Amino acid sequence: MPALLVEIGVEDLPAEEAEHVAQAFRDNLLSGLAGARVPHGKAHLFWTLRRFALLVEDVGERQEDVVEEIRGPAVAVGLDSQGNLTPAALGFLRRYGASPEKLVRRKVGDKEYLFLRVEKAGRPTEEVLREIVPQAVREIPCSKFMRWNGGMAFLRPLRWVVVLFGEKVVPVELAGLIAGQESAGHRFFGQSVRLFRPEEYVAKLKEVRVLADPRERAEVLRAAIRAVEEEHGAKAALSEELWTMILGQTEWPKPVVGRIPQEFLSLPEPVVVAALREEGKFVPFTRQGRIAEVFLGFAEGDGEPELIRRGYERVVGIRLRDALEFFRKDRERTLESRVPELKGIIYEARLGTVWDRVERIRRICQVLAEKLGLPRELLDRAAFLCKADLLTVMVREFPELEGVMGGIYARLDGESEEVAQAIAEHVRPRGKSDELPQSPLGLALSLADKLDGVIGPIAVGEIPTGSRDPYGVRRRGSAVVRLILEKGLRLNLFSLIAEVRSYYPGTTPVEEVQKFLWERLRSALEERGIAYDVAEAVLFRMDGDFLGVWERAQALQALVGKKELQDLALAFGRVRNITRGHEVEGFTPDLFQEEAEHVLWRAYLSVKKEVEGAMAEHRPAEALEALLSLKDPIDRYFDEVLVMCEDRKIRENRLGFLTELSHLFLQVADLSRLVVPG
Amino acid sequence: MKTFQDLILALHDFWRRQGCAIVEPYDLEKGAGTFNPATFFGVLGPRPWRVAYVEPSRRPADGRYGENPIRFGLHHQYQVILKPPPSDIQDLYLRSLEAVGIELRRHDVKFAHDDWESPTLGAWGVGWQIWLDGMEITQFTYFQQMGGVDLDPVSVELTYGLERIALFLQEEDSAFDLRWTEWLTYGEMFRERERQFSIYHFEKASVERARTMFEFHEAEAKECLSQGLVFPAYDHTLRCSHLFNTLDARGALATAERESYIARVRALARGCAEVYLAEVVRAGAPR
Repeated sequence: MPALLVEIGVEDLPAEEAEHVAQAFRDNLLSGLAGARVPHGKAHLFWTLRRFALLVEDVGERQEDVVEEIRGPAVAVGLDSQGNLTPAALGFLRRYGASPEKLVRRKVGDKEYLFLRVEKAGRPTEEVLREIVPQAVREIPCSKFMRWNGGMAFLRPLRWVVVLFGEKVVPVELAGLIAGQESAGHRFFGQSVRLFRPEEYVAKLKEVRVLADPRERAEVLRAAIRAVEEEHGAKAALSEELWTMILGQTEWPKPVVGRIPQEFLSLPEPVVVAALREEGKFVPFTRQGRIAEVFLGFAEGDGEPELIRRGYERVVGIRLRDALEFFRKDRERTLESRVPELKGIIYEARLGTVWDRVERIRRICQVLAEKLGLPRELLDRAAFLCKADLLTVMVREFPELEGVMGGIYARLDGESEEVAQAIAEHVRPRGKSDELPQSPLGLALSLADKLDGVIGPIAVGEIPTGSRDPYGVRRRGSAVVRLILEKGLRLNLFSLIAEVRSYYPGTTPVEEVQKFLWERLRSALEERGIAYDVAEAVLFRMDGDFLGVWERAQALQALVGKKELQDLALAFGRVRNITRGHEVEGFTPDLFQEEAEHVLWRAYLSVKKEVEGAMAEHRPAEALEALLSLKDPIDRYFDEVLVMCEDRKIRENRLGFLTELSHLFLQVADLSRLVVPG
Repeated sequence: MKTFQDLILALHDFWRRQGCAIVEPYDLEKGAGTFNPATFFGVLGPRPWRVAYVEPSRRPADGRYGENPIRFGLHHQYQVILKPPPSDIQDLYLRSLEAVGIELRRHDVKFAHDDWESPTLGAWGVGWQIWLDGMEITQFTYFQQMGGVDLDPVSVELTYGLERIALFLQEEDSAFDLRWTEWLTYGEMFRERERQFSIYHFEKASVERARTMFEFHEAEAKECLSQGLVFPAYDHTLRCSHLFNTLDARGALATAERESYIARVRALARGCAEVYLAEVVRAGAPR
């Protein structure tokens, strides 16, 4: 069977997104083929920033034929006693424009029905491609959609399409383009190229200076990096982002090695690394924890290496000369001496200056030091200095070095290592995937910093709504939740917030802040794969111990889909339903009348200890495990006991017991909120 | 060898042949050629539009006292607007580089993802920085929105950094050594100016007066808008934008307050775009 090649030509995609786009295209196209019942063999994905292409082996020339059977009236209704079609059956045939010989009899359960057999002949694959190729492109999820000319929206303008099915061109239409067999070569070093067979794609493109196979490009990059590492006894300071960038930036990468002039090598390593990596431009190298004098760039195509090297070195020199100057200027003064100047920077009209912000962070830190058992004076020193690097030129120029520079300058000023590290770490996490602080002081300072950024704006009424969040309150709220969940911080966030609320102006009640963070917790659970109903079950009432909520959610999530949990949820649902609105305090086993009551009572007593013990030690999975054994006694109870009986005393006693039982469950979760199939 | 002015003239010539109206810089301080009314208003509405011009662009925070070879508080942009953009726009742009004397096949040219956004103008677009041997020489943007208004058709904006391109053409390392014309260097023209403006913007500018002036121009812009006087309103918006840049360079604004200033300028820009579309474009009045 023939192979299929689909290539989509685009204006340069963002290097960091090109691979995602290509993968989504592959997934869409293959599921398109599957959905259209076109059989196929192995698929190979190729991409650069200017194209993505899928080569599929052994593609069927037609869709597979299908036979559908449509259920009509029951035989008893559709046929009369002589076996002739009744008006009901005739009507059914008319509806589908079919003739009687297409009717068959099929049993469904114990009843026989008339079925209409409809045979659908498969269409030629070429025809199918005209539908599924455009759809596969349109359904690629892009980080941002743009319009150019005409209808379609995509990440970047589409400029050509190749669809070859065997040796045949399939003129698929997409975004005003008609697919042909002409692909583009390298922008400067190759011409356009005519493709005759899908299989020759990679080789033909190589002739026009395009390495369409990312594995081949990766090999070029790796070989070049290795060569520099070996020649200079240094190690590449790669990051995942940098690798993605250099892999995505070129169609025909040519390594160019440049040198960093001696005068810049005295700069702190993070500064040089940041300057070189900026925008994914160059690969820095380090040797024994210090920056090495070489760097590596990858040119697009076969330009003149000497000329390009000079250009690279000039760019690096310009940026590092800047950095050196910033560093010299910044070092003229200590961080400490800058702190009072924070009074000159307004943070927000109602929330005062950055100095005021630092004061509040210090006070939150005091509370945290006590709650988390941290050295109060060191933490306070770090908090006092943490924003001073905002006044340095380096941070103004390389905002990503905020905090990092504070740490470096603090160390040079002779501050203690713990203080320097806490300052360096307090800005983390900057984003969703950023690392968290490592040191306990850094963690506390970061938490205080983020909390101030949440409480402050909300206190003065800036609660984010919809897409409006000018103060980045949501991002900070998510960071607070991440710090607590991922660093395992056992503390009551709500009482902490209540304790510090008085440091803030504004009239928004403290509950608004708590509610806001509670919602952040909800999305954090969702992002971590907690099912919606599980989240509901643990979030049913607000609780300042976020870590505990998270642990309970995990314990519950681990049992999702298990029958024993579903059964327990149903059983508890009965308890919850009958006690809701009828909570009664107190009961006595002396008033129990039925055996089932005593059975449940005994089961409850033995489980209660286990549950409370496990919960006290933050082991909700064990508590849940213990609760599972209550399922049978509860079911029996409801089968045999009439809770809402006539006798008021007996009734209240039963409700009192069930209320207490439900309170035990609710220490773990409100299982009645779980969605149980059935 | 090409002088700075030869470069400008070559670009004028190239884009003139592409049907662009060659217009002049606008006579108010602004951070980028995008703020020139020929761009701000030109990209709004349905009418096809092609213009090219040089724009001296002031970014106080980028000043370096005339001591940095390539950073200035005022630099020169060459700005092109193509509305709607032709489908070979990337090639067309590259041909313009060849037209000014850059032999592309000798160099490393990349279209590096850089989506442009001007929060103060309420504008955004997607596109690239063009890197020539690693140096950004052009911002290439498909505008999607201006003044908060979705554009239809969209425009392409090309913004060339003239100093940077001239460095390549004249094989110099410092912009101050560039020849503006045979008898005049860039340094002679601009170095002292750079020094003084850096002192002013970083050390001397009165924060208090800048804030007051901002308030004044904001009020004036609002008043003009309420009278339907969109062009005067826009001029005051530009002044607000520059005063904001001044305050920013002076280090007088922390993140949150910065946001609120940006939002205030954006509200004015949005107002200008809306009034322009409603009263000027709809009425078919000459622009």
